[in-house]
Amino acid sequence: MADFNDDIFFATIPELNAKLKNKEVSAVELVRAFAQRLERLGPRYNALALPLTNIAIRRAKDVDKEMKRERYRGALQGIPFGAKDLLSFPGQPTTWGARPYAAQVIHQTATVLQRLDKTGAVLIGKLAMVELAGGGGYRFPAASMFGPGLNPWDRTCWSGGSSSGSGSAVAAGLVPFALGSETSGSILTPAAFCGVTGLRPTYGLVSRYGAMALAWTMDKIGPMCRSAEDCALVLETIAGGDAQDPGSARKGFYYTPQFYRKMKDLRVGYAPVDFAEWAQPSARPAFEQALSVIRESGARLVEIRLPDFPYSVLVSTIISSEGSAIFEPLIASGKVDELADAKQIAGLKAALEITAKDYLKAMRIRAIVQKQIRKLFADVDVLVTPSRFGPAPKISEPLDRRPDENTQPKDRGLSALIPAGNLAGLPALSLPCGFADNLPVAIQVVGPAFSENTLIALGKEFQARTDWHRKRPPVST
Amino acid sequence: MQIKITRRKLAAIAVGTAAAQAAQEPAQPENLNELAREQLRKNAETLAKVDLPMSTEPAFQFKA
Repeated sequence: MADFNDDIFFATIPELNAKLKNKEVSAVELVRAFAQRLERLGPRYNALALPLTNIAIRRAKDVDKEMKRERYRGALQGIPFGAKDLLSFPGQPTTWGARPYAAQVIHQTATVLQRLDKTGAVLIGKLAMVELAGGGGYRFPAASMFGPGLNPWDRTCWSGGSSSGSGSAVAAGLVPFALGSETSGSILTPAAFCGVTGLRPTYGLVSRYGAMALAWTMDKIGPMCRSAEDCALVLETIAGGDAQDPGSARKGFYYTPQFYRKMKDLRVGYAPVDFAEWAQPSARPAFEQALSVIRESGARLVEIRLPDFPYSVLVSTIISSEGSAIFEPLIASGKVDELADAKQIAGLKAALEITAKDYLKAMRIRAIVQKQIRKLFADVDVLVTPSRFGPAPKISEPLDRRPDENTQPKDRGLSALIPAGNLAGLPALSLPCGFADNLPVAIQVVGPAFSENTLIALGKEFQARTDWHRKRPPVST
Repeated sequence: MQIKITRRKLAAIAVGTAAAQAAQEPAQPENLNELAREQLRKNAETLAKVDLPMSTEPAFQFKA
């Protein structure tokens, strides 16, 4: 029996892979240790939706047999992981984090879970999420049938949403990596608040077959991991065309660090106002330091700003229109009233009244947004800004508190990069970059469509020069 | 020591306290429905302000 200490629970995928290959640990031992830890500690953070320990151990036995025959399937073979509870797995409940769907069983395997299974990665549990991934808009972190996602760095604070359980499970060392999903901010936010590395892939790169739909034209599935390289290894497995996903770009992703450009050839767009004014005062030193690290790496920093568009209104109109159409049966049946968040209930009901004219107007403006943002990338290779402008809020705080417009910076900078990047379907990588008020903060790097290798190159360089991604929260067993 | 307070001041304090309490209480569902509709109306107004050439088509099959 291998010796399990905290180091193994916070190891990266290549580190775990080396232990498996060197036979320091078997897949069964690794899977059992993580699954037991997830079952024991997951509820402490409201992170666990459904343990799959027995199924996982059976699968791990098969993996061990394969490895004994020296059949190696890649870096993820024998690595345990968790998945946001909007991905269907046959024979088990898929709740979408919402009480009306608590007993729902979908008899299909999500494509991403199939792909991970093929490479020998082992699903050990479903992870909690904000109900219906927050469609309709929610007011409190408690908008989930699992309760508010609690942050491993401070359990009085939120883990972020909507991939709440994925963020806190990775941060607390309950899984080596997890799958989350993002419609607008649902991977980047929990990754930033929990201090883990999160990757939002280009729209269409990863199949959504078997995933709950919130907004067909905006939903993406992506990894939340310990490092940028781990994100690359998971993305390589889950990316690829899928005839069962109408939004599939029919493209794959190949992790090719050998072809990475030198940092000195990289032009990084940033807006000084993001770091000096939009960022909360307590987080500014960490963000400024992150910018210095990028500068020291040799990359050229170029000042830039987003074109003026009502990004949040566009995102809200598109998600609400598509989401209310998707959940119309739930709203019409009255079961929508069983949701935990009153604002979300009201938002979904009202969204049924959005006119076709307004939806189409939003989608037409979106086409212009895409074109204008594409032009930005003529001058820069990537954009950098804080993932969120401050650390995680308290779980008791309402999330819709509007800032005083008089005290807001006059220049937009790149402050709306989350809605803008999601509208344009662009990839983003969130990198932990320090602490504010004893909680993690992060920067995001955004590139043109299908530029994931460039984002990961910058992420790897950043993480080679810093150790924020190696920090561990105070998890006592 | 005696504190002098007029009936008018007392009434103002009572009204002020009630208003502060009302501000802290969570909005009622009917109110939330109204707020959600109001937000949609504001969103529609914002969208209407954006001028677009007639030839701008929505992406019926969105591609990144």
